[in-house]
Amino acid sequence: MQRISVTARLNRSTLQFEEAAYARLASYLEEAARTLAGNPDQAEILADLEQAIADRCTGRMPSSQGVVTLAELEPALEEIGSVQVPGAAPAEDQHARPATRPLQQVSEGAMISGVCQGFARYFGLDVTLLRVAAVLLLFVSGGAMILVYLILMLLLPYAPPEPGSAPIRAIPARSRRFAGFVRSKLGAVAS
Amino acid sequence: MSMESKLAPIRKGLLEFLVLKIVGARSVYVPDILRRLAGTEFATQEGTLYPLLSKLRREDLVQYEWQESDAGPPRKYYRLTEAGHAQLAALDDYWTRINRTVSDIGT
Repeated sequence: MQRISVTARLNRSTLQFEEAAYARLASYLEEAARTLAGNPDQAEILADLEQAIADRCTGRMPSSQGVVTLAELEPALEEIGSVQVPGAAPAEDQHARPATRPLQQVSEGAMISGVCQGFARYFGLDVTLLRVAAVLLLFVSGGAMILVYLILMLLLPYAPPEPGSAPIRAIPARSRRFAGFVRSKLGAVAS
Repeated sequence: MSMESKLAPIRKGLLEFLVLKIVGARSVYVPDILRRLAGTEFATQEGTLYPLLSKLRREDLVQYEWQESDAGPPRKYYRLTEAGHAQLAALDDYWTRINRTVSDIGT
C-alpha cells in the first residue's frame, strides 16, 4: 500500500497534496517560520502565506485534477518568493576588502629593523619565509644583501605603531636611531 | 561593488513608502498591491509584502478588514489609519524635498 496524497489545511483552504509536493510545502513553511522567528506576527504572516499558496495552487490546477502536485506548487512558491524580513541587512557585500597599505618597515617584533616584516605584510607572505630568503640571499650574493638591506632600511618609512601592539623592542629602536644617525650624516654630506 | 548592490538598498528603502501610497489611494488586498508594483522597479512578492504589511499594521499605519469574495475565502482589505495618512503625507513631503536637493546639487 502506498500513501498517494496528504490533506493539508492551509489557513482557510483545505487541499490534497501529492506526497512530494507536501514535503516541499512543509520545508517552505518551516524555512519561513525560521526566518520569522521572534516576529510577534509570525503566526499571522504564516497564515497569510499559506492562503497565498493555496490560492495560487488552486488557480493553477486543472479542474479535473484533485491533487496539488509539484507542477503547481513550485511555480506558486516561485511567485511568492522566500520570506524577507523588512529592515534586515542585505546578505551581500558584508566583507570589506582590507585597505592596501604602503610598503613600510614594521618595527614591532623586528629582527633588525623590520624590513622583512614590512615586505611580509605588503605581499601577504609569512615573515619567516622572507627572513630565510634574506639570509640565503646574503650568502648567495656574497654580502651584497647587507647593502640592499641597509638601503631599504634607510629608504623605507616606518609603519605607525599598531594600536594595542607590544612596545617597540630594544634592537629595532637602536637600529631606528642608527638609521636616523646615518640619514643625518648623509644629509650633511649632501649639503 | 556592483551597480545593482547600490540600487537595491534604495529600492528597499522606498518600498514601504510606495506601499503606503498604494494603500492610501484606496482600500486594496494584497494581489492589488502586487499588480500595481509588478512591471515597475519595485516588483515585489508575497514573501516580502506580508511581513512588511504586518510591520506597518503593528506600527498602526495600516489596518485591514475581512471582506467576502465571490470566489474563494474572504480577503483582507488594507487601508491606511489616520497615523498612516499622516506618515504618508510626511514621507511625500520629504520625498519632494529630497528630489529638489538631488536635482539642485551639483548643477
